[in-house]
Amino acid sequence: MFITALPTIATMVGTNRTLRGVAVTSPVGEPSLGAEDELALRRGIVEQAVARLSTEVNPRTVWEART
Amino acid sequence: MVIKVAHYINQFFAGLGGEDAAGAPPLRLEGAVGPGKGLGFEVAVTLACGDDYFGEHEEDALAQLLRWLDEEKVDVLICGPSFGSGRYGYACGSLAREAARRGVPAVCGMHPESPGVLAAEGAAYVVPTDAKVTGMRAALPQMAALARRLAAGETIGPPAEEGYMPRGLRRNEIADLTGAQRAIELLLAKLAGDVRTEVTASFDDVPPPPPIADMADATVALVTESGLVPQGNPDRLESNRAHAWLSYSLEGLAGFEAADWETVHGGYGTSVANADPNRLVPLDAVRHLVAEGRVGSLHETLYTTTGNSTPVATAAKFGQEIAQRLRDAGVQAVILTGT
Amino acid sequence: MPATRTPALELAAFAVRDVVAGTETALNDGVLTVDAVGLEASAADLPGVLGMKVSLVRPGESARVINVLDAVEPVIKPDAPGTTFPGALGSLAAAGTGRTHRLEGAAVLATADFHGTYDVTTLDVYPDGDSFVDAAGPGAPFTHWSATHNVVLSFRCDPAVSPAEADASIRRSTLRVARELAATTMGARPRHVEPLDLPAVSGDLPRVCVILQVASEGPLVDTFLYGRPVRDLVPTLLDPREILDGALTAGQYDWAGVRDPTYFFQRSSLLCELLHAHGDTLRFCGTILALAYWPSAFDKERSALLAARLAHQIDADAAVLTTFQSGNSHTDTMLTCRACERLGIRTVLLLAETNGGLTDHVPEADCVVSVGNEEELVPEWRPERVVGGERTWSGRPAAEAGPVPAVTYLGSLCQLGDMKLRAVSW
Repeated sequence: MFITALPTIATMVGTNRTLRGVAVTSPVGEPSLGAEDELALRRGIVEQAVARLSTEVNPRTVWEART
Repeated sequence: MVIKVAHYINQFFAGLGGEDAAGAPPLRLEGAVGPGKGLGFEVAVTLACGDDYFGEHEEDALAQLLRWLDEEKVDVLICGPSFGSGRYGYACGSLAREAARRGVPAVCGMHPESPGVLAAEGAAYVVPTDAKVTGMRAALPQMAALARRLAAGETIGPPAEEGYMPRGLRRNEIADLTGAQRAIELLLAKLAGDVRTEVTASFDDVPPPPPIADMADATVALVTESGLVPQGNPDRLESNRAHAWLSYSLEGLAGFEAADWETVHGGYGTSVANADPNRLVPLDAVRHLVAEGRVGSLHETLYTTTGNSTPVATAAKFGQEIAQRLRDAGVQAVILTGT
Repeated sequence: MPATRTPALELAAFAVRDVVAGTETALNDGVLTVDAVGLEASAADLPGVLGMKVSLVRPGESARVINVLDAVEPVIKPDAPGTTFPGALGSLAAAGTGRTHRLEGAAVLATADFHGTYDVTTLDVYPDGDSFVDAAGPGAPFTHWSATHNVVLSFRCDPAVSPAEADASIRRSTLRVARELAATTMGARPRHVEPLDLPAVSGDLPRVCVILQVASEGPLVDTFLYGRPVRDLVPTLLDPREILDGALTAGQYDWAGVRDPTYFFQRSSLLCELLHAHGDTLRFCGTILALAYWPSAFDKERSALLAARLAHQIDADAAVLTTFQSGNSHTDTMLTCRACERLGIRTVLLLAETNGGLTDHVPEADCVVSVGNEEELVPEWRPERVVGGERTWSGRPAAEAGPVPAVTYLGSLCQLGDMKLRAVSW
């Protein structure tokens, strides 16, 4: 699973499973949240990644991370 | 017609040794060496270089090799065949590209998926070969034939006819029908189930691998192009145009501590990430999921590089090499983060 | 369905096999005589234009026409000449029905050196690039008007007025000359008459529509529907025969090779082929005009959605998507393709390429016609004569322009699909 804030580039080079990350500077982080909430956010993103890795996918699919 | 030929090979085919000699600097040898003897014409000079040396000192290696090439004033350069090798192929493609751009036509031979094909950037001709060295007997005469014609200044026909890989050029020709007529024909064919196109996106088509049956049994690896490295950047990862990917142990780490890790990527503002490197690579979150049994295990090595202005061919090579390592280690899935 | 009840458009063709200068404008036995002095005089009082010179350029001549703005086929509605090019020149009337006379093998080319007269960069969106028609040489296959007998109108713009004002005069004048040349056919017998009909067809043939992409970015980069710019156009259903009969005119002077000259609207290979195939291999169920170059992602998606919805409403099984110019508009084409495919409307796209391949892509675009590579160089040619100016945009003498990219030739890579050019992999 590719987690990035620039998913069109990911799909352009053929990536099949892409999760849109939070920001370029922190794909799996959100500094405006407190430490606990940020970890929860990160866990949530990784959980989604894990779930999508075990499902069938059409080529070059991009999911929005549910935050 | 007598043509003057230079041949480029790696440390192995030059007889210097295997992986142990992969760090050999560029070398110039008289006449044909190794597979060069099978080309069917006289080789004036053989140039060689260790695959690792080329990868780690690309600019210097190219400069030296091109200098020798320049001195010889050859009619054509032949590189390889490098078959399925990533590093050797990359070196062949890169040298061939630079030679061709300096007016020396160049021919390589390699497997179509070798990163050397991209490295050639269409400037040099690439003859497709087997992945394995058993393809040598077939490859040499094909490469030699094309080289001979290039040296003679002959016009080379289209790839399918002449047996080389498309060079990524799109050239104009006059068809029998107008674009509109062809569009209607293609559309009716598509409606009948026959989907054809005159042009595709020049991007990779990688069929998605089957999904992981149960992530609770799977080993997941963490890979990143965000430039994450141990504090102090001990191995000097570049902030752009990375020459290598690096690997670091994650053993015993519950997460990335700001004091122990940093990012050297020059392509984005790094303060947010440096304050908490888990924002780049979610190590802490993955550890939690492993502890809870949601993920089988974490591969205890981080693979990292800087994806900033790194040429596509280089990145492709890195990807292949890292993927090979992961496969050898029994990893089933990767979380790759990009910036 | 209304289109099927509209009386046929009857295209009456009159062949032109030579064009010569003379004291009166007339057509005799295929020879078009042009009263150049008279035509030039008729342009004397055009607002924004200081003068107009008429030149004749024949197929095979060692001549290069530069600064070409548009090409127009000489046509006239013999039963109501005042409605020829309704809205753009003539009074408003429904185009696409009744008889139209056309001079086959002839064209009016308009030239003007906007770049040399005005600082075009002051416009919001300004045209760029040279525009050639070579009557012979290696560039001839790259432009349709190397094969036509051309009456070239070279306009001299007034620097004291806006380029928009000068352009409005140029376009009207060009259409007027086109009508006047075709007026030589009044009362004469055509070589052949082709009726274009859209009868109701029952049965199982697939319903195919066209989504014809246009753009309206402002003066000098505009397209006109019944005389008004198509700015802010919501996808609009037209009878294809309206387009063949002067409802759509061009005023777009960006990159010559990827323009849709008025002539290609009038003679569209795509619309004609679909009309011929109607009832045979398909049912031609409509032509949708859709705007491109929307500036925001939202507007692009919205227009794509509306175009696809309209295609869906007319029950299209499939759509041919044309493209206009390149870059930004290719995203509009791709989004429209995706919107159609998601509604179950299968698509084929017409697109020009660059050395880097396609500009944009969506996975649904699995059926694409390549109309050629814009950037591939056409070998150098030194014509004996240059019409329409002296220098290229970069300041070189036009006869010594050197090798030029294919997109320099008018209509070379027109993504309506009128040319036979294609790019293949090497």
